[in-house]
Amino acid sequence: MDVVYVDNNATTQVAPEVIAAMEPYFAQTYFNPSSMYDPARDAADALGQARQTIARHLGHVDPKQVLFTSCATESNNTALFGTARANPGRRHLVTTAVEHPAVLEVCKDMARDGYEVTFLPVDRQGNLDVGQFIRAIRPGKTLLVSVMHANNETGVIFPIAELARLTKETDPAIVFHTDATQSMGKLPIDLEGEYRHVDLLSFSGHKLHAPKGVGALFVRRGAPCRPFMIGGHQEEGRRAGTENVPYIVALARAVELSAQTHDEDAARIKRLRDRLETTLLERIPFVEVNGQGAPRLPNTSNISCHYIEGEGMLFGLSEDGICASSGSACTSGSLEPSHVLLALQVPFTAVHGSVRFSLSRYNTEADVDRILETFPRVVASLRQVSPYWDAAANRPRPDADRLIQPKS
Amino acid sequence: MAWQYSEKTKQLFMDAVHGKPGTHLGEVDDPDGLGEHGSLACGDAMRFTFRVKKHPTDPTKDVITEARYLTFGCTSAIAASEALCRLIEQGHFTPIQALRVQNRDIVEFLDGLPEQKIHCSVMGAEALESAVFNWAQRRGVDLAKLGVDIHADEQDEGRIVCKCFSMSEPYLRRKINELNLRTIPEITNAIKAGGACMSCHHIPGGLQDLLDEIWGADKKLLPILPAGMSNLKPEAPPKRSDGQALSPYQFAKQVEKIIEQYVRPMLQRDGGGVEIVDIKDTLVYCRLEGACSGCAAAGQTLRMMIEAPLKERVDERIRVIQV
Repeated sequence: MDVVYVDNNATTQVAPEVIAAMEPYFAQTYFNPSSMYDPARDAADALGQARQTIARHLGHVDPKQVLFTSCATESNNTALFGTARANPGRRHLVTTAVEHPAVLEVCKDMARDGYEVTFLPVDRQGNLDVGQFIRAIRPGKTLLVSVMHANNETGVIFPIAELARLTKETDPAIVFHTDATQSMGKLPIDLEGEYRHVDLLSFSGHKLHAPKGVGALFVRRGAPCRPFMIGGHQEEGRRAGTENVPYIVALARAVELSAQTHDEDAARIKRLRDRLETTLLERIPFVEVNGQGAPRLPNTSNISCHYIEGEGMLFGLSEDGICASSGSACTSGSLEPSHVLLALQVPFTAVHGSVRFSLSRYNTEADVDRILETFPRVVASLRQVSPYWDAAANRPRPDADRLIQPKS
Repeated sequence: MAWQYSEKTKQLFMDAVHGKPGTHLGEVDDPDGLGEHGSLACGDAMRFTFRVKKHPTDPTKDVITEARYLTFGCTSAIAASEALCRLIEQGHFTPIQALRVQNRDIVEFLDGLPEQKIHCSVMGAEALESAVFNWAQRRGVDLAKLGVDIHADEQDEGRIVCKCFSMSEPYLRRKINELNLRTIPEITNAIKAGGACMSCHHIPGGLQDLLDEIWGADKKLLPILPAGMSNLKPEAPPKRSDGQALSPYQFAKQVEKIIEQYVRPMLQRDGGGVEIVDIKDTLVYCRLEGACSGCAAAGQTLRMMIEAPLKERVDERIRVIQV
């Protein structure tokens, strides 16, 4: 059975072009780029070129502002802890309730260390309230603002350019960080243009068809940020550790590739996603698209089905070779459903019943057809089992409310 | 985390959702017993119904002939529901005999469940129990008279311990005993209590306090960290993040204070004690006294009951060295 992979916000297939680009750096040009002998220069050159390529695609920024890391989580940790260590006088952070754990948990950890953190809520569609954002920033007090570019679960896009400008106009000493892991390669990011107020920007390779284990952090010149990894002169001492040359080459090639194919890909992926969504909404009663009313990434669709649970849906899908993910409690480590869906105030009849489909350039019309064929069937069969659903009438039982409230 | 279900679990789930003949999906019309457990807000819920062959004179000799379920929940919740119905029908039980079917029988029937999914089997056992109580009411059977524990003490809503899943103290006490739950993770895996916000773990009257009260005598056999922490009074930990290190004098005073307030009373309950021999930087040299000194678990006591609270409350670099 062919696998239909629609979990690209979790990770992506490595592009064949990317594999070809990194291949020579394993067994031929395997040298440490810091070594003195001639062959090592090729490795160092490859590193330099990769940095230039990425800098170019971030809006022709100075390549020295691009640091390579091991993943977006490291980039985020560096951004937050590094900024805090460089500015001991400021003890207040602003972030959102829907960040990825690589930011959210770092903020909570800093809160345990005595920092004050404002977690901005989102509305029912997943949007931030700009007024609330402005009220949260404290001139002279706020250390850092960290707001993700696009949400990994819903695909909702935050107006980073505007939020960064507001921050800097309020107090230029406040550092603005954005986690662009989900948007890199999917949305244009011009750090010398529209995004010129962003100080720090994180992303990783494996969400855009490079391998896992490589990421980057853009650090604008002058932004105070102490190193997180210490113990070597690499990256001018700002990130110690021997550079992962093949993966860095891969990251640059993946960024280049996504820029080359972006316009065509984005339009095609959006068509696929929209067809998937519209048809599912037609075929399945009592479903909603989380974040539908907000600007969203073209590849992400987060669908909640009332009165059934997401883990069972995933299992039903996987029996038909469809790989997706869910924000249900049963798929997370905790017994609580996804913090993102809770922040969106998805009704409790639907918050356990979410499935996320996230597409990539490798998905086809046939993939969408497979999902359209399987998913409504899986939903219907689980609703047959659900005590809240009247299968004959294909709607919730009139007495569903009776079972709904937690027992006391 | 990838699925770790047994083949049996997967098969029962697929059979159930495909409505294979012989599966027990649905509801018995006009049932003789109806039980429900869980809630939509909590992420899983089950309605269980059964029919009996009524005995003409003695309702306690009714025999369950048909069992059905409707379940909102994950793969294993649905498989566990199917397993419950099969166990009940295969046994030709009277409703009172059916109460002997426990969550572990369901787990066994499924060839095991992942630890964090044990609560799915407990849900089945709970729904069964509530259906049997319902049958007893309908048939005028006085279960209490027959010596069946009907948890009358839970009828008045007890103090809620786990707010996320609305679990009361009497219910938790019964479950901790019935299912032999010894640690907080075991409680969470079995009945979900404490699995969401986790704030009920170590507060006074929280899960750890219940565990301590119920299993008090065996405390030393348990992973001791939570037991130790439960006695801590809810007090803000000393600030150690204000950028200023404590002076050696303040540091030593702080260590002594924590030992005095939290560690000694705990050790004294077991007839033991502790003396601080010396402190060098963040190394705290301790001598265990009384019953603790010869105890086989001394190393663990030191680490979990002395070092852990000191790390938590004074400085996470602290290392306790046994003298």
